[in-house]
Amino acid sequence: MIAIDAVSKEFETKGGRRHLAIDDIGLAVADGEFVSILGPSGCGKSTLLYIVGGFVPPSRGSVTVGGKPVTGPGPDRGPVFQEFALFPWKTVLGNVMYGLQQQGVGRTQARERARALLAMVHLEGYESFYPKELSGGMKQRVAIARTLAYRPSILLMDEPFGALDAHTRTRLQNDLTEIWERDRKTVLFVTHSVEEAVFLSDRVVVMTRSPGRIKEIVTIDLPRPRDRVTLLLERRYQDHVVAIERMMDAQE
Amino acid sequence: MTRLPGIPGLAPLVAFAGLLAGWEVAARGIGIDGLPPASRALAEVPGILADPESLINIGASLYRMALGFALGVAVAVPVGLMMGRSRHVAAFFNPLLMVIYPVPKAALMPIIMLWLGVGDASKTLVIFLGVSLPVVYHSYQGGRAVEEKMLWSAAAMGMGAPARLLRIVLPAALPEILVGCRTGLVLALITMVTSEMIARQSGVGNILFNSLDMAQYDTVYAMIVIIGVLGLALDAAFERLRAALVGWAEPSQALMVGTT
Repeated sequence: MIAIDAVSKEFETKGGRRHLAIDDIGLAVADGEFVSILGPSGCGKSTLLYIVGGFVPPSRGSVTVGGKPVTGPGPDRGPVFQEFALFPWKTVLGNVMYGLQQQGVGRTQARERARALLAMVHLEGYESFYPKELSGGMKQRVAIARTLAYRPSILLMDEPFGALDAHTRTRLQNDLTEIWERDRKTVLFVTHSVEEAVFLSDRVVVMTRSPGRIKEIVTIDLPRPRDRVTLLLERRYQDHVVAIERMMDAQE
Repeated sequence: MTRLPGIPGLAPLVAFAGLLAGWEVAARGIGIDGLPPASRALAEVPGILADPESLINIGASLYRMALGFALGVAVAVPVGLMMGRSRHVAAFFNPLLMVIYPVPKAALMPIIMLWLGVGDASKTLVIFLGVSLPVVYHSYQGGRAVEEKMLWSAAAMGMGAPARLLRIVLPAALPEILVGCRTGLVLALITMVTSEMIARQSGVGNILFNSLDMAQYDTVYAMIVIIGVLGLALDAAFERLRAALVGWAEPSQALMVGTT
């Protein structure tokens, strides 16, 4: 369980002025819940994710995970970034094994688990490729496998499909729901796509433009496992998308 | 531009042949002692390379160059990477480097000779200084450009800050570091020759300037050719090493090296 309590973040701008990126955010995410944070660019939604990850300290407020205060990054919270952030000097297999070996898992065992994960993200046969030889979608699959490898209980996904073309994006969304259905990890998912948020999430947190505050939290009461085509025809799905689009428009 | 067809490496061969032919014709046309024809200078090369005395000199030069280069890289890479990752370290070293940067390292040679004498230590120190600056600069740039998210990914795996510097920053910055090392290698050769020119005792610079004093111009030119070929060979060897070490790098990084 993630508890975000009255978190604010101020940055110092180049000119020395203070910029309030997010203001007084309070949010509780239950174990196994898939929560999206949706907002216009510059609303500080990624910053909130980085604070939960322990990569960036909050200016005020606190975050606890499983009752313990967050003081830095840890393997219980696995990040997946829009920029993939793969280690370019490691092969695909080396990237996925990296976290396991860092955790002290033996080479043979790490390799076995890495291979299984690569199969799960449909990348069999690419084990010895280097990241530069892969397309964006494949890179993100490797990054997801790399993070899943060390078994974080929470996934922190920072616009993971934002840099991909529409077709690849849809495929990866489908794959992510499939992976999530297997062990239902807690997921905090940052996006600016309304359809993506509604399709994937149990709850959608809509944020206001800068400074980022929570405008509204929408519960997505659609049955799981979700299938895209059935969902597109579903009235409740359409209603959620339209309602949230309106909320976003109202801020313009 | 159209490329010369057929044999790879033909273009540079043609360029070298042209250079030698131009030299030959100019020397024969002008006909002064200070510019012997290419054929006469080149004829001296086997003699120099067969002479144990010169080989000892060349060996001594290469030894000092290798030592100065290795020490320079060993000090400059950690300093540069730490500058790249910490604003405080950068603020400390930057002014020092700005002061040292425009000073010709050979100009420090007389002072260094006062401290360390005319032997290997002085020359190696000058080579070390010549190598360090480009390597520090490129390591600094490389360290600074390491993607934050890559470090965060490692931190989430439970990797501490010192380990990240060694296992993430160093390999991520390696393509840029090696660009600096390549420049450093050429500067090592240059400072090696100049240091031997100032403190004449042994080495290729010593042979070159002694021959000049004795008006053995064929030998002077032959030595320049030998130093040139040495530089080319070292650079080519380094380029192969670089390609083997950072073949994984994105093309944008590889392009910064320029050639190939």
